[in-house]
Amino acid sequence: MAVTIELTYEMTKAFGEQRFDVEVVPTVADAVKVAEQRLGEKGIQFDELARVAAVAVNGVLVNHRKGMKTKLRDGDTVTFVKAAAGG
Amino acid sequence: MIKGYAGRILEVDLSTRTHKFVPLDEDTARLYIGGKGYGTRLLYDRTEAGVDALGPDNPLIFATGPLNGSVAPQSNRFAVVTKSPLTGGIGNAACGGSFAYGMKRAGLDVLVVTGRADRPVRIEVDGDRDEVQILDAMDLWGKGTYETQTLLPKRYEHAVIGPAGENEVLYAGIVSNERIAGRSGVGAVMGSKKLKAISVIGKRKLEMDDPEAFREYTKTVRKLFEEHPVMGESLKRFGTGAIVNTTNGRNILPTRNFKHGHHPDAMKLSGEYMEDHELVGVKTSCLHCPVTCGRDVEIEGKGRVKGPEYETLALMGSNLEITDLKNVNEWNYLADDLGMDTISLGATLGFAMELDEKGMLDAKLAFGDPAGVSEMIQDIGHRRGLGADLADGVKRVSEKYGGKDFAIHVKGMEMSAYDPRGSYAQGVEYATTNRGGCHVQGASMYMESTGPLTINPMNLKLKADIPVVQQNLACAINSMVLCIFTTYGMIPKQVHEMNPNSMTYKIITTLFENSGPLMRKAMGMKGKPMMWFEKWLTFITGQTFSSGHLQEIGERIFNLERMFNMREGMTAADDTLPPRILNEPTFYGMASGHPLGQLLPKYYKNRGWDAGGVPTKKTLDRLGLSA
Ligand code: SF4
Repeated sequence: MAVTIELTYEMTKAFGEQRFDVEVVPTVADAVKVAEQRLGEKGIQFDELARVAAVAVNGVLVNHRKGMKTKLRDGDTVTFVKAAAGG
Repeated sequence: MIKGYAGRILEVDLSTRTHKFVPLDEDTARLYIGGKGYGTRLLYDRTEAGVDALGPDNPLIFATGPLNGSVAPQSNRFAVVTKSPLTGGIGNAACGGSFAYGMKRAGLDVLVVTGRADRPVRIEVDGDRDEVQILDAMDLWGKGTYETQTLLPKRYEHAVIGPAGENEVLYAGIVSNERIAGRSGVGAVMGSKKLKAISVIGKRKLEMDDPEAFREYTKTVRKLFEEHPVMGESLKRFGTGAIVNTTNGRNILPTRNFKHGHHPDAMKLSGEYMEDHELVGVKTSCLHCPVTCGRDVEIEGKGRVKGPEYETLALMGSNLEITDLKNVNEWNYLADDLGMDTISLGATLGFAMELDEKGMLDAKLAFGDPAGVSEMIQDIGHRRGLGADLADGVKRVSEKYGGKDFAIHVKGMEMSAYDPRGSYAQGVEYATTNRGGCHVQGASMYMESTGPLTINPMNLKLKADIPVVQQNLACAINSMVLCIFTTYGMIPKQVHEMNPNSMTYKIITTLFENSGPLMRKAMGMKGKPMMWFEKWLTFITGQTFSSGHLQEIGERIFNLERMFNMREGMTAADDTLPPRILNEPTFYGMASGHPLGQLLPKYYKNRGWDAGGVPTKKTLDRLGLSA
């Protein structure tokens, strides 16, 4: 029973890992808190990095779901995504 | 002659080895601007239905627009228009580099090549002397695009093909410097004419209606670009590879022949990673462009070469389940040198890998394994062995070996690197774009899922509206001719700076999502020029261009392309997506694939077409396209 958290490139660079699993937490807000804690333990300024990243659950931004209150289920992936450009 | 144009077209017939200069038609220029628009009009008028795309009667048209020849950022691009040997419909491609500038300096708005030489030739144009030479190119035949350009006369600007064009690989392109007019198989058409290269030179100045206003305003735009989060930061710093992490995070990065939209190691293909590991520190650009979205990388045995851009990173990386940049760098170099479109190439390789995996083809290629890929790319470029089949693209390979359900193409053109199952508007755009599965004829995905102001990419709201506006705009942009990336600058800095998880963001995106007809109406309003490209066009030509003017011109071009395709026998049945995209869900909780069937009728209506996708008389009358 786990939720995967995937980090942005900048977060990954600072943290040393791109993704980690956490036990299923009820909502996206809880998952974000866990990520903040994990990165915080390594002294990483989470807020600064998270401010420019949208949060998505299985690829869909939570803003198009129920925001930070979006419920999580076993197997979900919570991703921090930076808006980019080009292509 | 309207300002901004050289006023003449050069027509070269390679069969008779003759040429003539004819005046540019001012009325056509007013209605279609130039570039792709003017080229499409010429192609439509000069061909009969069923013309052989690789035969002497298919004109190969190189066209510039009024912005070319100026120093406006992103304006060194030319359009190539022809009937596509890949799709059998309208073919076109745009290319950066410096050839567009060269054409205008040589006093050429348009260059039309018809006929077929009996042996390899090249064309040399000295615009100041009105001198046009058709020269022997036997010594260049068989050489790569890089070497060819070094062997051509210095000081000229060149457009060349590589072995892929010579061998009529159906997705061969035309190269200028390190840039390529990649799509539609325009290079195969050039190869079919036995034309290896075109070189142009001249010192003619671009005449402008208000040069002072143009100069002053261009300074402002350069500053605006410098400070813009996309033009001055993201694209400049990371190149188009910056988008890999975004599309991967949004589950729309083609992976394993579009089976999935996410690859766990895709970060290693990103522009950010490239900067940290592979970039040799040099950023490259098309002439006069401050955005410098090109990247140089180092590859073994070749030294510093042009690095891959987003589409290549995706189609030849994650789509093949390859995440080692060194592989992609090398394949990108090979494809560029052979003169091939990396989107179609990557998609074809991915399809061959899946056929192999399913035991339908012994391609000796496997997902996640780089073994054999370099050799296969060479074989494709030279049409050797199985490479001869793969040189015909996904559609024809599926007709020969099966696998139509997972053959990823639209109208015969391989789909580019945005999985429409997580970007519904982009799916509508793919299905309806006249040249086939391409994203730069609208770039709806940017307004929907990859840009800073995204709407819910997975409901139906606005998904049949965005493509109409974006396709029209792209038609106009490709006719000026400007780089399509210019549209990324249209969303102001302030929007980029918004917290994407905030309530304000949610309110704005919800309003946008519900704007529908209002948005189309607003974009269609004729008024004063607002955007930089509208102002540039106005300062240069002396005519007024606003968003509404460009929407109308773009719509005219789009409908004319549609008419060309219909004349070639295409119908609404061709406005579709690959079965895998329509039927297989990729997202958790998704019942099926892309809901195209629900969106197409609305799209047709928005376009002023009947239920069968045919432009109504009213629409054609309005656009001046009635017979
Ligand atoms: S943004 Fe990139 S592709 Fe476009 S004109 Fe500039 S350098 Fe060329």
